[in-house]
Amino acid sequence: MTLNRLTPYAMLAPAVLVTAAIIFVPVGRTLVLSLHDAVLFRPHAVPFVGFRNYGRALADEVFWISAGHSLTWVVLAVSLQFLLGFVTALLLHRSFWWRGVARALVVIPWALPSVIIGLMWTWMYDFNLGVLNDALVRFGLIDKPIAWLANPDLALYAVILTLTWQGFPFFAVVILAGLQAIPAELYEAADIDGANAWQRLRYVTIPSLAGVMATALLLRTIWVANSLDVILVMTGGGPGLATHTLPLYAFLRAYSGMEFGYGAALAVLLTLALLAVVVAYVARAVREAGQ
Amino acid sequence: MKRRQFLAGAASTVAASSVAGRAQAQAPVTIRWWYHFDNPQHSPAELVAKFERENPGIKVQAESVPWGGGNDYYTRLFAALVAGNAPDCAMVKLNNQARLLEMRALEPLDARLASWSGRGDIPDNIWTLTKATDGKQYFLPVQYVVLYLYYRTDLFQRANVAPPRTFEQFLAAAKATTSGDVWGFGMRGGAGGHDHWASFVLAGGASFDKGGMVSAQALAANRWFVDLARTHKVFPPSAANDGFRQIVDNFKAGRSAMTIHHIGSANEMVGALGDKVSAVPVPRAADGRGWTSFGDESNAVFAGSRNKDAAFRWIAFLSTGANNVEFNRFTGQLTVTKSGAAGWSLHPKRFVDATFDSVPIAAVLPDHSKTADFTRTVWPQNMQRALLGQIGADEMMQAIEKHFHG
Repeated sequence: MTLNRLTPYAMLAPAVLVTAAIIFVPVGRTLVLSLHDAVLFRPHAVPFVGFRNYGRALADEVFWISAGHSLTWVVLAVSLQFLLGFVTALLLHRSFWWRGVARALVVIPWALPSVIIGLMWTWMYDFNLGVLNDALVRFGLIDKPIAWLANPDLALYAVILTLTWQGFPFFAVVILAGLQAIPAELYEAADIDGANAWQRLRYVTIPSLAGVMATALLLRTIWVANSLDVILVMTGGGPGLATHTLPLYAFLRAYSGMEFGYGAALAVLLTLALLAVVVAYVARAVREAGQ
Repeated sequence: MKRRQFLAGAASTVAASSVAGRAQAQAPVTIRWWYHFDNPQHSPAELVAKFERENPGIKVQAESVPWGGGNDYYTRLFAALVAGNAPDCAMVKLNNQARLLEMRALEPLDARLASWSGRGDIPDNIWTLTKATDGKQYFLPVQYVVLYLYYRTDLFQRANVAPPRTFEQFLAAAKATTSGDVWGFGMRGGAGGHDHWASFVLAGGASFDKGGMVSAQALAANRWFVDLARTHKVFPPSAANDGFRQIVDNFKAGRSAMTIHHIGSANEMVGALGDKVSAVPVPRAADGRGWTSFGDESNAVFAGSRNKDAAFRWIAFLSTGANNVEFNRFTGQLTVTKSGAAGWSLHPKRFVDATFDSVPIAAVLPDHSKTADFTRTVWPQNMQRALLGQIGADEMMQAIEKHFHG
């Protein structure tokens, strides 16, 4: 009897131990670090400072600028990726002779490493030698080249466009999979009821995809909010503070200033800000598991 | 982490090893050495093999560590030191010497250097520049560069101006060559561009001493520099975000008439431009004062190493005559040895001359634990904001002063 009761725990133990080792321990370590004045090149003096790092962050102008940029970054990047991915999925769901090739090609941005994407778009945006300025000038859309990444009013949006290009295939693929799972009978019933194309989309497609879209949006919001690789490669957070986001700021304080205590506090604050999204995702996952 | 290991075959039997010529029986030891080369295709395998032939009791495990603008390399190095898993020796630069000393991570080399036969082959001024603030020598120089001014001879001829020697001549030449989509000076406003700024503002009177960034002379020098962009518009509009690749490619494409870099890019420039490119020392202030960046690279032995003597033998080997020339073939920089420099043929002579002519004004940034953060974050952020008019030139200097002195 006792053995039977313990068996499930024993079988779960390896997974729990691995999760604890690679997730809970680092999270705990980050929390502890955030309460210390931990500077990597001063390993002999790491005083406990309580919540001073958090107080410093809340009084830090760069923290609030970065938080504002993070909000713009997440809302715009995720919305644009979703819209583009949704339209792409609808197109790829239609029947045309090169659909197989199109479905394969659309995944390319998602498959490319972020650093490659960052470098590629940096050169496309380049003021002197970039193809974007060249094309816009040739077509007469602008009189002279624009310094896309050196203009503080444009840089963040230029990077968001890059991230949109990188991330829309995720939505396209996920939504396409959802579209393929919608029973054809629903569309036939809608046709019999005299529904037009918009009504089929509004009353059949979108409600059927609601679950898939909500999960994809929640996941992508978390990923985009945490991502800093493309920004780091394209602008390093500049010009000035124009493309600073919270994860980038935390990264720079930790890996440039070597202030791991302060960087950890910034990371914890970002996590708290994301907690609402995380809770929504976990609740949804639990609900789906229960169904 | 990407590693290249050059340990080959089975370990040899116990061999005699000595330090400074002193014969002493030793068990075979393996030392770990971290290095970074700009071109990852280059490998020090032949140097390692030669060393191991000459020192049969010592194996060298050479590990290539990504440079990442210096940030990746040092983060890994500091983390390894804190974790107790650091290499025995590694390539290091002066801008992180203070941090390494604060960690008590460096082994003083003075006693070993005193009996090393290669010491006299390295010029005194290089020893002076690489000495720590406590007067001890922790770094053994292995290569160096000095920044100078590249200029396009064709664009200068077209504008009928001569290579500048003073700030005023520089401004005149930059204005004369700025036309249409060509800019007088390819300014590097991204990370690493502090050397461009320093050549004008430190030579103009600023210093890293307390109050040195906010003196009347320092503020005037910085205003003059920022005005090159804001008023005279001799920098490309993209300057605030331009990095190394942009300044070099713009120069090669004829979009800028001057830029500042070192001999490491000379062969690439000549490959693209032939005799349309030449170099002179960076211009000096009206009072004759000049400042240019001494780009150092050394090797250091770590205090935690259990094989310090063997590690020293390896880094001394790399800084010796022909070995050092071979090492610099991989890095594209200049040998630190007088014997190696005598027959130098890896770069066109005019760039070697520009380097040597720049040595009298070559200097390094302060040996301070906040210097690395200054170059990586504080300077680019504030310089970019000043270039874009988001903050004034004086505010930029106040931010730098605050970073170093609170």
